[in-house]
Amino acid sequence: MASRRAAIKAIDWAAFAERVPPNQKAMFVALKSRSDALSARLAALPEKPPAIDWAHYKAAVAKAGMVDEFQKKFSALKVPEPVDTQSDKVNAQEQEAEKSSAEYIQASKARIAQYEQQLQKLRSMIPFEQMTFEDLHEAFPETKLDKEKYPFWPHKPIADL
Amino acid sequence: MLSRLLLRAAPAALRSLPPPVTVGLLQAARPLHTTQQRPAPLPPLPEKGGEVRHGLIPEEFFQFLYPKTGVTGPYMLGTGLVLYLLSKEIYVINHETVAAACILSVIIYAVKKYGPAVADFADKLNEEKVSKAVAAKNKVMESLETAIDQEKQEQWRIEGRSYLFDAKRNNIAMLLEINYRERLLMVYNEVKKRLDYQVAIQNLRRQKEQDHMIHWVEKNVIQSITPQQQKESIAKCILDLKALSKGAQAAV
Repeated sequence: MASRRAAIKAIDWAAFAERVPPNQKAMFVALKSRSDALSARLAALPEKPPAIDWAHYKAAVAKAGMVDEFQKKFSALKVPEPVDTQSDKVNAQEQEAEKSSAEYIQASKARIAQYEQQLQKLRSMIPFEQMTFEDLHEAFPETKLDKEKYPFWPHKPIADL
Repeated sequence: MLSRLLLRAAPAALRSLPPPVTVGLLQAARPLHTTQQRPAPLPPLPEKGGEVRHGLIPEEFFQFLYPKTGVTGPYMLGTGLVLYLLSKEIYVINHETVAAACILSVIIYAVKKYGPAVADFADKLNEEKVSKAVAAKNKVMESLETAIDQEKQEQWRIEGRSYLFDAKRNNIAMLLEINYRERLLMVYNEVKKRLDYQVAIQNLRRQKEQDHMIHWVEKNVIQSITPQQQKESIAKCILDLKALSKGAQAAV
């Protein structure tokens, strides 16, 4: 039965738990408990049911053909394997996740580049002791006083003093 | 000095002339500061002013005279000048001299005594301003660095997304396996139940037949014991008992 028994991979729950962000811990715990419940159930079930002792029944049951009939039907019976409907969904989800995570990583890298740029600008700034006010306004544009909007001293709303 | 006067008069005179000529003449007369360039960033301001001796006379003057007159040159010059001014009465000593002397001595005393303190205070004020700015800048830099670290950590977290899907697929596989095993088990149980049922039915039937037969035999036997037979059998029993009791007495 090759189609059965999609190999159950060993999951490193510790490493998994490390990577879970704190706001998703509850979901992770739910998933883990479900997994553990399933594996407990799986371990409780025997892989094959015990064999039926046909000889004993043949001796015991008086009706002649019944046991033979049962035996024939039993060995002919094929238990259908349960059909896997969800794997495709999971695979589709995985593809989605790949795409969105690639996007996120792109955006994250862009943000990192931005931060790096700002950091670089700050690192290469001249020390404050050597700055004039013009240099200060260049380095920190928010310190520049808007003389058009507020033509009278102190050139900013009084509340901001 | 005269050229300076001329230059100051020149713009006023030239304002009457038509503009292009004014500009051209002005530019020829005195080059304006037309370029916007200056070395950027500004070179740092010198920490201390030029050296002065006695608070008044720049050191460069002493150095200027040193090659010709040595160390005492400027002092000799100064003394000579002062004596000349006094003796020729170019500077007249009067009440104002006394007032000037008192005021100057007080001022000099105050500056010498409290100058450093005031200077430190002013320096402290400046220090505070600068340190506030520096602290703000450091905070911004730190927050940027933490932001970068957090972004990197988020990226690392994302790398673990395969775990989630492996777990899901595992769950699915486990469910399927469980389902399958349960079905096998169910089939087995059902078949076994039916076979056991058959065996149990048979046993029960046999049991019932046995009981019934025994009961029927007993009933018939009891029925067949007629009153006549009963009396005969009781009389025989009593005779037997008597014989037994005789025998028994002898044995005892």
